[in-house]
Amino acid sequence: MADVKVKKESDTAAIEIRNKERQQFPHGITDQVIDTPHLESDNAAIENRIKELCQQFPHGITDQVIQNDMPHLEAQQRAMVINKLLSLGQLDLLKSSSGLLYRMKDTQLASKMKGSDNQEKLVYQILEDAGNKGIWTRDIRFKSNLPLTEVNKILKNLESKKLIKAVKSVAPDRSVTGGAWYSDQDFEAEFVEVLNQQCFKFLQNKAEVAQDSKQSPMVQRNSSFATSHEIWKYICELGISKVDLSMEDIETILNTLIYDGKVEMTIIAAKEGTVGSVDGQVKLFRGVNPLIPPTSLVKTPCGLCPVFDECHEGGEISPSRCIYLTEWLSF
Amino acid sequence: MTVQETRLCGHLLREHFGEVVEKIGTQLLRSGAQNLRTIVSESGTPLDLVKKSLCVLMNHGACTFSSARKGPGSPVEYRASCERILRILRYPRFIYTAKTLYGDTGELIVEELLQRGHMAMSSIVKTVADRLTHNMEEGRSMEYSEVISTFSKLVETHFLQRCPPVSLSAPPPPAAPVGPGPSAAPVSTSPPTAESFPDCYSVPQVSMVGRGKHRRSGEDAGEDLGPSKVVKTGEQTHGDEGIYWQVNFERFHLHFRDQTIIGAVASKLDQTSSEIVRTMLRMSEVTTPPSASCTQALSANEIFRSLPANYSISRPILDQYLTLLVDDPMEFVGKSGDSGGGMFSVNLHRALKYLARATLESVVQERFGSRSARIFRLLLRKHHLEQKQVEDFAMIPAKEAKEMLYTLLSENLVLLQEIPKTPDHAPSRTFYLYTVNQLGTARMLLQTCYKTVANLIARRLFETKESKRLLEKSQRIEAIMASLQASGAEPEQLTEVEEMITATEKQQLESLRHHINKLDSAENQVDETIFLLNAYINSTARATR
Repeated sequence: MADVKVKKESDTAAIEIRNKERQQFPHGITDQVIDTPHLESDNAAIENRIKELCQQFPHGITDQVIQNDMPHLEAQQRAMVINKLLSLGQLDLLKSSSGLLYRMKDTQLASKMKGSDNQEKLVYQILEDAGNKGIWTRDIRFKSNLPLTEVNKILKNLESKKLIKAVKSVAPDRSVTGGAWYSDQDFEAEFVEVLNQQCFKFLQNKAEVAQDSKQSPMVQRNSSFATSHEIWKYICELGISKVDLSMEDIETILNTLIYDGKVEMTIIAAKEGTVGSVDGQVKLFRGVNPLIPPTSLVKTPCGLCPVFDECHEGGEISPSRCIYLTEWLSF
Repeated sequence: MTVQETRLCGHLLREHFGEVVEKIGTQLLRSGAQNLRTIVSESGTPLDLVKKSLCVLMNHGACTFSSARKGPGSPVEYRASCERILRILRYPRFIYTAKTLYGDTGELIVEELLQRGHMAMSSIVKTVADRLTHNMEEGRSMEYSEVISTFSKLVETHFLQRCPPVSLSAPPPPAAPVGPGPSAAPVSTSPPTAESFPDCYSVPQVSMVGRGKHRRSGEDAGEDLGPSKVVKTGEQTHGDEGIYWQVNFERFHLHFRDQTIIGAVASKLDQTSSEIVRTMLRMSEVTTPPSASCTQALSANEIFRSLPANYSISRPILDQYLTLLVDDPMEFVGKSGDSGGGMFSVNLHRALKYLARATLESVVQERFGSRSARIFRLLLRKHHLEQKQVEDFAMIPAKEAKEMLYTLLSENLVLLQEIPKTPDHAPSRTFYLYTVNQLGTARMLLQTCYKTVANLIARRLFETKESKRLLEKSQRIEAIMASLQASGAEPEQLTEVEEMITATEKQQLESLRHHINKLDSAENQVDETIFLLNAYINSTARATR
């Protein structure tokens, strides 16, 4: 959930930035390119190199990366090339915590959007952000800040290009229906409980095997860990679920085990391409023992008494006449 | 102090010192500092009884006096200490600990001291030697020197300490109205800590040679003499007159705390890790001040050298264990540097915090079920959450989650924080965030514990009262049996007397004994929860000060 949000923010930020830059260079950068024809072939080479870099790092590259790759390149020239790529819609500008990021735009999209103006691109972007859920015309209007008539016109345009389509009856998205945990709008509490127990059994078993292995303590601990991918595979192979569960679904279940105090989670960095890694991280889970046995207060009837606050010596409910204590004593 | 604390104090005082002391004690607890005249008039007790009660309370450190609070010449005022009276509940644990650490001799020394408040070393040694000899076979006896050596060990490890001497600036009159005899002398005006005196842990030279005597049945009465009389009746002096000893509760508490931490590590990780933590705690016993939030840093080399010899852990394995301890999310052990193979310390405050947290969690778990406990843990982890978020994270259906949250809220285990978006506090424009205040909840549970113990004592008294007739009868018959046996009566006579208790009565007595034992052990167990919560609350107060 959080992931989607972040992306949205960065994308809208990117749009703002792009708009701003267009204001700075109202005529684009083509004038300059024509002014300096001897640079054109040069520029094309740089362009290609930047595109290559972008393809190499699908997550995006910073200015620094380009600078390192082509140290002889002047800042002004670099800016020029990048501006050109941006205006052609081949490059995306994103804002991240480490500064600006350039990313290759989907070439398919770039070709699709050929011949569209900025407003059309903006509306398309909004629609794209909405993802599977789709979006209301009204929301598009708010997000794009365009008048309704304009939005309608653009939508019609895009529809005719078969880039978007209007959906009248909506089949709700996972995030709206609640995903795997709901059937007929009812929360499947039992299903969740079964999965919760199965996951715990798996981890507990793993921890026991690790403990019985009689290896060095470090190896023992490490072999008691299971990645969320492993657990996901185990659950899928068990075949207890009729619906397809994603790894995130299993992680939600594992989180409930953490809140049950039965499981601990550790996050480690993983090599690119490791199975089950998300954003270069792998989540490791392991079953743990409780810190203390139930505290002694709750071993007495008073610790669990539902009418504890009404209990007074000489009152209607009193320790002398307490039926819970009588029962407990005769036990 | 709270109503529950006062009620429990009342029960404890009555059990140990009788009704009059209870009356005076609870009155002092309720009213704060009072002078003698007020106590007499408000309690409606004769003056000499009041004096005796105050004397008893002071003997046990449960009451202090101060003079001239309202300017010079104003009357002496007495003040009872709730905390000290509640310690009575922990006496069995102190005695048991002394037994496990220093055997029967240690047990008896601590027991005598707890029963009498404070004593001179020579009289403790004599009493303990006599009692030990009494339990031995005829012809064997306990050497004084053995008792002295155990006593010295207890002092060396700070489990016993000297009572702070009466400061000379304190006006002499306060002792006079309280009662005669040297017993009142060691109480001082403003309560100075025993540790502020340099020789509080130094054992005086005592010239005592001899052994315990077998007590003949006629001498039984001598056992209940107060310490004052013991000193007076002893004809020869032993060179330690005027030096009185008391039990150092703080030291016992540190020991309990360490044991709890070690137990938690054993439960969470394994036995070997707990042995390492035990070694670390034992090494820092002397160097770490009692109020520190973590122990002095120890290097891995030092720890390795100090591990018990019979515990065969190789150096690389120890390093692995230490790394695991540091890596554990509870972080009971912290690493503070790399010198000497790594510097490690036990994070005491953090450990207590997690132990208290586990205690709260287990209360919620047992009372409201594991799913409520899931919500409770979730809130402890994420601090502030909306109802919807609680449902989603805990994966509990909305209706049930709501019910659980409301139940927890009504029991004050979780709190609800309102954050209005607009100044009118309209519900539709307000965030409702659930949260748990660990410290507040711990304080509340502590009161629950006090009430529980008071309830258990009340029930025990009730059970005893209900079967009073039966108990008296059985005691009488036992006495008759004993005297008959002593006079060498016929076996038929004995069975005849024995049959005076019917089978049903025997059964009743048996079940009564069972009930009393159960209630008794429950009282002691709840005190463990009380100790842990108290330790956490005190440690947090120190950490935030």
